[in-house]
Amino acid sequence: MSNKICILDYGSGNVASVYNMVSRLSSAIISNKASDLENASHIILPGVGSFGASISKIREKIPLDALFSSLERGKPFLGICVGMQVLAEFGSEFGKYEGLGLIPGSVDELNSASEKIPHIGWNNILIQQNHPLVNGITEKDDFYFVHSFAFNPSDPKMNIARTNYGADFTSVIANENVMGVQFHPEKSQVSGLTVLNNFMGIQ
Amino acid sequence: MRKNRIIPIVLFKDGHVVQSKKFREYKNLGNPLLTINRLSEWGADEICFLDISRDNNWQGGRSDLNERTPATFLEVLAEVSKVAYMPLTCGGGIRTMEDVELRIKNGADKISLNSAIFCNPALIQDAIKEYGSQSVVASVDVKFVGDKYKVYIHGGQTCIDQDWKDYLRRVEDLEVGEILLNSINNDGGKEGYDLSMLSIATSLVSIPVIACGGVGEWEHFRSALTETEIDAVAAANIFQHQDQSVYQAHKFLFVHGINVRPPRLLETNYLKVTTNELL
Amino acid sequence: MNYCKKCVYSSVSVNLEMSDGVCSACKTSEVFESLPKDFWDMRRKKFEEIINEIKLNRKSEYDCIIPVSGGKDSYYQAHKVVTDYGLKPLLVTYHGNNYLPEGNFNRDKMREVFDADHLVFGPSVDVLKKLNRIAFRLMGDMNWHAHCGIFTYPIQIANKFKIPLIIWGEIAWDISGMFDPDDFVEFSARVRHEHGLRGFEWNSMLNDERDKLVEKDLQWAKYPNDREILENNTKGIYIGNFFKWDPNEHAKLMNQLYGWLPSQTPFQRTYRLMSNLDDRYENGAHDLLKFIKFGYGRASDHASKDIRAGLMSREEGIEMVRKYDHVVSDDLQYWLNYVDISEREFWETADQFRDPRVWWIEKGQWTKFDIWGGSSSYGYHNLDEVSLKRYIR
Repeated sequence: MSNKICILDYGSGNVASVYNMVSRLSSAIISNKASDLENASHIILPGVGSFGASISKIREKIPLDALFSSLERGKPFLGICVGMQVLAEFGSEFGKYEGLGLIPGSVDELNSASEKIPHIGWNNILIQQNHPLVNGITEKDDFYFVHSFAFNPSDPKMNIARTNYGADFTSVIANENVMGVQFHPEKSQVSGLTVLNNFMGIQ
Repeated sequence: MRKNRIIPIVLFKDGHVVQSKKFREYKNLGNPLLTINRLSEWGADEICFLDISRDNNWQGGRSDLNERTPATFLEVLAEVSKVAYMPLTCGGGIRTMEDVELRIKNGADKISLNSAIFCNPALIQDAIKEYGSQSVVASVDVKFVGDKYKVYIHGGQTCIDQDWKDYLRRVEDLEVGEILLNSINNDGGKEGYDLSMLSIATSLVSIPVIACGGVGEWEHFRSALTETEIDAVAAANIFQHQDQSVYQAHKFLFVHGINVRPPRLLETNYLKVTTNELL
Repeated sequence: MNYCKKCVYSSVSVNLEMSDGVCSACKTSEVFESLPKDFWDMRRKKFEEIINEIKLNRKSEYDCIIPVSGGKDSYYQAHKVVTDYGLKPLLVTYHGNNYLPEGNFNRDKMREVFDADHLVFGPSVDVLKKLNRIAFRLMGDMNWHAHCGIFTYPIQIANKFKIPLIIWGEIAWDISGMFDPDDFVEFSARVRHEHGLRGFEWNSMLNDERDKLVEKDLQWAKYPNDREILENNTKGIYIGNFFKWDPNEHAKLMNQLYGWLPSQTPFQRTYRLMSNLDDRYENGAHDLLKFIKFGYGRASDHASKDIRAGLMSREEGIEMVRKYDHVVSDDLQYWLNYVDISEREFWETADQFRDPRVWWIEKGQWTKFDIWGGSSSYGYHNLDEVSLKRYIR
């Protein structure tokens, strides 16, 4: 059974990078059409931008009914960076915004103690729970992060991996088939490819 | 733990990659696609791709080359972003929101603004609102003139009559993600970074600062990372002088105990003659 | 057409940048000329450090590789490494089957006058003829095989024999001023690929409709990958980075010390007698193609270099250009026989590569500006109606 990845595009950059990387591993399309969502084997929501701007664009451009029903049927979903953050119930970047509520929790400013904000650069992840998404990832793997806000999940079991930057924050999250990574796997070379490949192996 | 980044800068002028010396002399090195492909294969943390063309005087002429010669900077960017497996910052000549949008759409992960900071700060704010602070890099060129540092815009041509420290604070107030701080005096000089400039700057702002201007050997990266509070080191010319340059830079710093990613090749073959899958 | 104020290059010359009317090659040359003695002393010391390290670490293997053609530069490289510094290199030659008699003589003499072993490698002549034709059609350069062999085979040998250091001669791009003397440049695969081979690699040669080649035919043309290079720590340095390069002096010295011979008959497309004896077409048909494409040839290259070296005035240089650049040399016929191509096919193919920034068609003839003023015509075109359009001004 061959994979067909649907990459959602809500008009806020970065889709090309995700597409370039993903299409090396599997057949993929960039689309917001409900029919493509339904026919896809996996869904990816990329993200560059602020929480507020992104969530309003998502509400405008993406057929949320089709998305939610696909997710209810267990289709694997991966949110990247802001695409992960919008899964929350609330976000507080430039004001208070309501997220998609697919994973309980909120998105708040990074509590990085004395470190500089934004968190920009390569950092590793420390796995808290085993999950197929992070199969084969060790402390030696580095991922590219670029963000000032982070997701605080209410349920600690959904906290798959954390990353240290001053204090710890959640870098990988999962609520059954709905997954999110704070880093950019499409920009994280071999480590990122491992995660993407893992994602595609989840059925 | 977050690592310090080593960032090759690729300067693009009228269709070619060039070396720059003191912002004035430019030496033609060749095809941007190949250059960036190589840097990517050698495991660069990030690449900064700057368009310093002035007159759009394209030299795409030759028909006896195998290289594709795209007609516009944006096309070059789109091609380049397909071969860069790490973040790509794109800068140079960005004046309007449309300029910003086009670059992000064509594959840039971050955009770098320079003259616009002074001439049109509203643009910075709009870009940040739309794409987030983390997508906006403020590029600041500084020259030591007489007895003080002065900020210059328009590719080193126009001097800003303002205290450079106030300028930096203003940049931070605009809420950009990070600052790329370049020393015009040291550019192309191979004597190393202007360490005192970097130290002063990092004491003034609390956002990440990337050092630029003057690298002649890997040791210069090391001294900047150990003697100042900068977060990342950038250089242009030196990465064009030897094969596996980025790998060697990582290796040098890594074995000297500096907090960087270990040296690692990305196993694609730019000559595309073997099918080396990435995993 | 913009010409450099100092030498005879035009702005269209390969990889050149112009600023304030002076080309980047002249600028780089000025920088080189104004280098003080202690710069070269420092560089020599750096070279000696490299030599000493080799002497310390390499006990029984070859000390280094020197890629050689047998030309004056090859001799100079061997002279420095063997005679001056006493190393035992492995000389490696790519033999493209185009040697002139003096070139053969000089090449074979190397292991007589230098205490060094010499590996001479030549691909099958049948393959070479095919490559001559294929490359001519693909990019208007029958000598692509030679650029490839010279910049690939020695590196393969370095990896195979586990000899990390390769010592080249002249910084190849000094012809266009790509780098400055203090850019400590090493051999680069990218420069080889982009500038040496114009972006074509061995696998580009497998798709020709008329001449069939397979991977087995091109083993020698495959550049090693990064991993192999790093494992062997292979690196190529240039003598020109450590010792002031002076080709005219070298030719004289090599002749005096070792009996190296310049060409015994004058060339038709240049006044120099000491260059390119390893390939009869380099000053001939291959260079004619450069003229056809870009409107200048070897005479312009040599004159520009000699002007910069103070051996010729710009006026004299212009005279050289006038006399030599356009000449259709006899070796063209020799080549056409060698590869069995008709003269008509030659001109039809070659014309496809004319650069419209340089050439236009006037009264059915190829016309261009001349450095001595005005414009002239250089022969009837061989294009079809469609291709013609690019060249009407």
